[in-house]
Amino acid sequence: MILLDYHNRIIEDTLKARFNPENKPKPLDMNIVDFDGVSYHLSTLDDQDTKLILSIRWKCWPELVKYGATDVLRREYSQWIVSPEQGYDFTLQFDLEKLGADPEDVIRKVSLLKRNAMAAPFERAFDAQALAEKEDTWDPSTSQLMTIPYRDGEAIYVQNQQDRVTVIFSTMFKEETDRVFAKVFLQEFVDARKSAKPQLQHAPQVIYSHREPPLEIRHLPGLLDSESMGYITFVLFPRNFAPGAVREETISRIQIFRDYLHYHIKCSKAYMHSRMRARVSEFLKVLNRAKPEIQASEKKLASGRTFIRRGV
Amino acid sequence: MSRLAPVVIDNGTGFTKMGFAGNNDPSFIQPTVIATRDGGSSSSGAPSVPSKPSFLNSSASSNLASKRGVEDLDFFIGDEAVANSKTYALNYPIRHGQIENWDHMERYWEQSIFKYLRCEPEDHSFLLTEPPLNPPENRENTAEIMFESFNVQGLYIAVQAVLALAASWTSSKVSEQTLTGTVIDSGDGVTHVIPVAEGYVIGSSIKSVPIAGRDLTSFVQNLLRERGENMIPAEDSLTVAQRIKEQYSYVCPDIVKEFKKYDQEGDKYFKKYEGVHSVTGKPYTVDVGFERFLAPEIFFNPEIASSDYLTPLPEVVDTVVQTSPIDVRRGLYKNIVLSGGSTMFENFAKRLQRDIKRIADTRIKRSEALSGGRMQSTPMEVNVISHKKQRYAVWFGGSLLASTGEFHSYCHTKAEYDEVGPSIARHNRVFGTLG
Repeated sequence: MILLDYHNRIIEDTLKARFNPENKPKPLDMNIVDFDGVSYHLSTLDDQDTKLILSIRWKCWPELVKYGATDVLRREYSQWIVSPEQGYDFTLQFDLEKLGADPEDVIRKVSLLKRNAMAAPFERAFDAQALAEKEDTWDPSTSQLMTIPYRDGEAIYVQNQQDRVTVIFSTMFKEETDRVFAKVFLQEFVDARKSAKPQLQHAPQVIYSHREPPLEIRHLPGLLDSESMGYITFVLFPRNFAPGAVREETISRIQIFRDYLHYHIKCSKAYMHSRMRARVSEFLKVLNRAKPEIQASEKKLASGRTFIRRGV
Repeated sequence: MSRLAPVVIDNGTGFTKMGFAGNNDPSFIQPTVIATRDGGSSSSGAPSVPSKPSFLNSSASSNLASKRGVEDLDFFIGDEAVANSKTYALNYPIRHGQIENWDHMERYWEQSIFKYLRCEPEDHSFLLTEPPLNPPENRENTAEIMFESFNVQGLYIAVQAVLALAASWTSSKVSEQTLTGTVIDSGDGVTHVIPVAEGYVIGSSIKSVPIAGRDLTSFVQNLLRERGENMIPAEDSLTVAQRIKEQYSYVCPDIVKEFKKYDQEGDKYFKKYEGVHSVTGKPYTVDVGFERFLAPEIFFNPEIASSDYLTPLPEVVDTVVQTSPIDVRRGLYKNIVLSGGSTMFENFAKRLQRDIKRIADTRIKRSEALSGGRMQSTPMEVNVISHKKQRYAVWFGGSLLASTGEFHSYCHTKAEYDEVGPSIARHNRVFGTLG
């Protein structure tokens, strides 16, 4: 498993079981968590087991709404949106009796809730860039820098420019070791494009900087100046977000990037650990071989005299 | 930011239950199995006896070191592992409740956390479980992996039996929330009887019974075969036996009377199992008869199934209580808690309670008689507690514990780990002593 899934598996599995007409509806109350501090609450209405609600809570929800999340969500989930449940940001409601033709499609869409909410600022930036390019006049004031503080101390910055869209991740490493792994890992990202592989030539450019924020966001207040901060910049050109499947895929991939990075740091550590374990067991074998043989104690005869073997 | 729900993972020999604290059911229940490409050669068990100086080209390490790509990510866990068993080699990292292969376990966790639960371990506390009498070294290894690989926020390792006790608090039969009791934990492979006094496992008195789910299934399978149920396709016979065991079996109060009942009014008791041939898709039916009550009966009369193990379960429970310290025995009799899938049979608790009570009462009567009537004992209170969450009692108990407000103060935090090292896992803060 190199890439992480974009959808939430627990929601997918639960809804699959629920939407299956063979299973009788029964009360449900479930709290689920997703990456980046997203909390879901999946439950049935108090007295109606056939009515299912899914609520989402996310720290950066106000920002997402500011950047047009409502429109994206309305496009994806129009018929299910209800007013948000107490303590949550956004709520969907389903009636098991009126699901419509394709429950599979519903399940797929719903399990991508987090991804779709996150898609809004990206779509806005992509559209603005496309517009600027079409009109062929570049007014720097239309360049908008959108900040999505999706985790404590970490944020995604999206900025549209005349010919490209820049996405910057600020990321914090709690561990010294993680930072080292990340550095190697991200350097690979940067170098991969330089290597001769032609299929990578069209990939977006990646720039990694440690501690030093990139120029685009340097003027922003509240940037933490600390050893543990790192900034990763993706430069997306129009070919990377051509409307349609490419754009969707780009958004999906980029919104999971931080988790992908951290997942791979952890995997690398696990890999190092298994090599260490293998090495230790090799060394133990060597050590065991070096053990001196225990001298057999003097053998005695039944009479009590010592049995000494004379040389032949 | 409010704290995110702790993650509760119960890795059992057969199945892993995982989910978020505060929920009633685990989000995932899947086999504890990992499918890898390397055919399980890199086992990290005890180093084998060296035969010749071949350590430089030995298979395990050179295989591992020669991997330059992403081969270490090429694996599956759980149901997907089973589905891919044709092209991958299946490995079971847990044997007899204890983790045997740490390489595989680390990767199993890695995928459990990122692919299934989808959470960033740095943001969550984790509650893991361990079998009773788990060596502290294993606990240290677990802490090492959790803190160093995954940077978890906090870690708590709980004993399965204690969690099962906590889970029983949901039962209406339980009047007080106590951590004293006897836990009968019967899963797929083995049945354990574990006495717990105020949260401490009395290690010296633990007994295990080599009868569990798997044996019941094969017993049913044998009965069906001997009776000549030819309709069952050979390749499905184990699954059919398992289904029959799960759907129709119950515990009867008296085996002789039960036989009589079946002879007199067969129609009422004989059932039909309807199955569909997995290859041809043809439907078939199987008669279900005496095995309905005979299968769980092997807990109470093991001699009908095996000739090696002859001690009935109630007797084992009684021995366990009798070998425990005298001052906790009443508490142990009073709170006998069931956990695990093989204790789910109808009336299992009732029958067990009756049989244990009978043994205890006989003993009291005899001691009264021996004292010549000068000594009167208060009757022994025997309670076997059965509750709705029995099947995943351990996980549910973990979910209960982890959703309490104090949980975070019981956890070992990352900062403490960095300060002290893995030996921190030897200490349990709930009890406040070294344990």
